[in-house]
Amino acid sequence: MDDLQFRRQAYGDPNDQSEDFLKHIAESPDDAKLVNDLKNLDNRLNQALNINVPDDLAEKLILRQQLNQHQQHKKRTRYLMAMAASIAFIVGVSFSMLRFTPVDLSEHALAHVYHEAKALSTNQDIGYNDVNFKLASMSGLQQSKFIQQPGRVFYTAYCDFQGVKSLHLVMQDEHGEKVTLFIVPAEKRLKLEEAFADSKYQGQGFKTADAYMILVGEEGSDLNFVKNEIENTFI
Amino acid sequence: MFQKIRNKKSDASVLSDMVDKQRRYDSLVRALHTDIYRYAFWLCGDKHVAEDITQETFLRAWRALDSLKDDKAAKAWLITILRRENARRFERKQFDYSDVEQEQLEDVFSSSNEDETEQYWLRRQIGKLDIEYREPLLLQLIGGFSGDEIADLLELNKNTVMTRLFRARNQLKDALDSPELRGQSNG
Repeated sequence: MDDLQFRRQAYGDPNDQSEDFLKHIAESPDDAKLVNDLKNLDNRLNQALNINVPDDLAEKLILRQQLNQHQQHKKRTRYLMAMAASIAFIVGVSFSMLRFTPVDLSEHALAHVYHEAKALSTNQDIGYNDVNFKLASMSGLQQSKFIQQPGRVFYTAYCDFQGVKSLHLVMQDEHGEKVTLFIVPAEKRLKLEEAFADSKYQGQGFKTADAYMILVGEEGSDLNFVKNEIENTFI
Repeated sequence: MFQKIRNKKSDASVLSDMVDKQRRYDSLVRALHTDIYRYAFWLCGDKHVAEDITQETFLRAWRALDSLKDDKAAKAWLITILRRENARRFERKQFDYSDVEQEQLEDVFSSSNEDETEQYWLRRQIGKLDIEYREPLLLQLIGGFSGDEIADLLELNKNTVMTRLFRARNQLKDALDSPELRGQSNG
């Protein structure tokens, strides 16, 4: 280790423990004194650097962190609350939208007839007591019933008109043509049209005391006949 | 039922994670706040600013605690945060705590007896060192870092670090060895 390198090392880190450095010190008493001086300087510097630390600094650091965390927690809680509130709000709004949007009965009736093709191909003969039994379990129609057989009934089933439980019947007109009848409990949001039709079916709607009646038959079928029949037998 | 058990369990583990983190932070504070505060003080020369920087440093450390993988590296990690925090202070600075004007180093040290008078004088000498010589010396003496570690922290090469350490000690030694100057600066 040459002298320059030694001085550099000594001033850079007098506590260096490398072999070269220690050997150099052992060989040269003058340089050993220099290293000692520098170590002495380091001791004094260390004392000078050790300024007093405020007694409560550690406590303050922990307190500050905990306050910060608490605030963040509060912020997060507030955020979650806001989220929950807006979700509840949206659910509420969409629920009531669903409940109060007007339902076009005639459109649904037609769609239903197309959809439930098997209803028109069924050929049972159902007594009016069975129909009454089904009526009795529908909300809003407990009081309604047929007082006598309204002609032949081929088919009966519950169906759903946009959340309203209703009854699906298949009856016949004067000439034996099949006519579909929907009995829907009267509700404000339901919209009833007196007459409607598409390319294949025609329909009529009318109102009794507690229910909307929707008749759908093929073009040319005599809906008025069925209507009369129902008006005479259904109370 | 299963859902319930699972929830309970994950709640408990979240809680214990939190407790772990808190415990880790507490020991970090207790073990290192002295060094960090002293380092901050010698960096900025004002005990209030030093306290502020220390607070900011530890708060940032808390937020990023999960990124500290190796606890042995904690001191270097904190010093890196502290140096960034100190640099940020200059970006937004309103007041002039310039490092060059360390002559106004705060008089926080009483100088009642001779020993303390010398210490006071020495402190002023340290404060007078240029920041680029002072900082490696602080890292070596307060932080106990090796030349390589200092080079890493300051993003310098090791030769530069050794040169700066040489100059820092040389300057301080000269000052100590020339009593006239010392008498002058002591007023």
